[in-house]
Amino acid sequence: MAIIRIEKLRKEFKEVVAVNDLTLDFEDSKITCLLGPSGCGKTTLLRMIAGLEKMTSGNIYFNDIKINDLPPRKRNVGMVFQYPVVYRGIDVYHNIELPLLKEGLSSKERKKRIYDVAEMVGIENSLKKNINQLDNATKQFVAVAREIARQPEILLFDEPITNVDANSKLQFKHAFKELTKQLKQTIIYVTHDQTEAMSFADKIALMNDGKIIQYDSPRKLYNEPETTFGGWFLGNPGMNFITQPCQKEDGQFKIKSDQFARTVILKKRRNIKGKVKIGIRPEYIKVSNEKLPYGIKSEIKRKSITIGGQYLLTIQRGDIIVKAKIPHKKGLGLSKNIWVEFPLDRITVFDNGNRIKEKLQYRE
Amino acid sequence: MKKNFSKPLYYTLLWVTSLLFFLPVFWIFLSAFKTKEQVVQIPPDWVFMPTFQNILNMLKDAHFLQYLSNSFFISLTAVTIAILVSFLASYSFSRFKPKGTDFIMFVLLSIRMVPGAATILPMYLMYAFFGLKNTYVGMIFMYTMFSIPFSVWILKGFIDGISTKFDETALVNGGSHFHIMFKVVLPQIKPGIIAAFIFNIIFVWNEFLFNFIVGGNKVTTIPVALATGVVSSQGIEWTYVASLSLVYTLPLIIAIYFCQKYLLVGMTFGTVRGEV
Repeated sequence: MAIIRIEKLRKEFKEVVAVNDLTLDFEDSKITCLLGPSGCGKTTLLRMIAGLEKMTSGNIYFNDIKINDLPPRKRNVGMVFQYPVVYRGIDVYHNIELPLLKEGLSSKERKKRIYDVAEMVGIENSLKKNINQLDNATKQFVAVAREIARQPEILLFDEPITNVDANSKLQFKHAFKELTKQLKQTIIYVTHDQTEAMSFADKIALMNDGKIIQYDSPRKLYNEPETTFGGWFLGNPGMNFITQPCQKEDGQFKIKSDQFARTVILKKRRNIKGKVKIGIRPEYIKVSNEKLPYGIKSEIKRKSITIGGQYLLTIQRGDIIVKAKIPHKKGLGLSKNIWVEFPLDRITVFDNGNRIKEKLQYRE
Repeated sequence: MKKNFSKPLYYTLLWVTSLLFFLPVFWIFLSAFKTKEQVVQIPPDWVFMPTFQNILNMLKDAHFLQYLSNSFFISLTAVTIAILVSFLASYSFSRFKPKGTDFIMFVLLSIRMVPGAATILPMYLMYAFFGLKNTYVGMIFMYTMFSIPFSVWILKGFIDGISTKFDETALVNGGSHFHIMFKVVLPQIKPGIIAAFIFNIIFVWNEFLFNFIVGGNKVTTIPVALATGVVSSQGIEWTYVASLSLVYTLPLIIAIYFCQKYLLVGMTFGTVRGEV
């Protein structure tokens, strides 16, 4: 319903730069997640879009209309906060109705909207309940319903699941995913939880230190991180990084390392100063009791089971330690000394923290 | 074994202490239904035939209704205005945090620490100068002024306890600051409003000094009437004192009985969030 464009947006709190000259387009009717560690500026950015925070410089456009000086009430946005904002002393129905009273709608229209949205959110049986009787997750759903009922063009969510207990969190995630499929609004969802971002988002804007590190689809962000930060931040655990010397020989860059069974190269010419970082996600590392064609002998230092039932292995390869994630069944039969291989097509090479698009190859 | 013995002893002690404190009140209430002779009888009669003559005599007194209506009118008006002003002030202090808020809050409370006797003379001179002596406006103005500091303290504590996210949600939902104050924040600090109201009503309802010095016949409230009507040609009118005390205390007792849960929350300045 609205394209949000931010242009060189900056926010300073005294000496701290919370948002650092950001330029970004949020796509119409899509869900964009602002993902990043605490204090990276994602909430400040969201608050500036809502009009709750004044920008230091830059511009915000809704559908090409500059809204820098527009007060929050005229921006036609809905916002759900971390803390479930519900009004005590009144029932769920009246909580949802409260902002609708200002919209000049007839009571019939208000009732229709409230019942429609309650059904959509799944709280139709709680409409007559006093708000104090509800758990945090349901309260948050009431807050979501209230914002949706207003039918704003833009919906902003500021870590809405953070204050919900673990059991309800999962339930909330499922329900929220279903809900967002039905909504037509442009949605911006702030979170520091990568699983939330991965499951809800059409696109993720990964943030750090007030800057957008990468803005891509969840799959691309995970598989092709543009920076080492992206590789480290996404995944549980994040990418393994191994720093290796890189030498130029015959127009090729050669990485000679005891981490590979053979010498690996970057064929295309490129300026690399001395060292590169090799990144590989734990689940892409091949392990076996049997000899692997491109594997090297390694030792399992630690073996633990993750929540998903997979084995998380801490493996020592020479003087380097890497983490590998393997299926439970495979992990059961592993001995202490194993063969480990880094498949080259799964490796991302970083030069000076930035991804090199070219893939590694074994030297012929 | 020790536990079984100590618990009843503990409760007995509590009951005895409570009864000791309640005894004068109980005596004055009983005296309202006694004859003049029964009132001064020693040892007092605990079982007697009650009479309503004292109450009827008091109701027949033309001044009594004026005193009672004065007490109601002055206290309710002053406290209502004080609560409204205090709510606006405490909202501003809590949300906009103007420079020097902490100092202003300290000054506000310190006003209540000054004994009334120390301020009565300048107040008298000011009231005489402005012609506010023996006027309803003067009395209401004074009690409003004295009720505001404590109310601001209570209400600010409560408003501080309401997350600013409520304000922000309302702002995004199209509300103005006026809407936020009265439709969003005010309903949520209802316990604080009630607590502040009751505390101030108790203060104004019982206030004697200012009404006695800067008041007059027109604005006399019950505490002053009690003090000035005590002595007659026949000595102290104990039945009058008792019946007037009964009528004077009952509204407060009823109000406190129904609002005691709010008072408890109010005494903590909203820092303990009771679900009331």
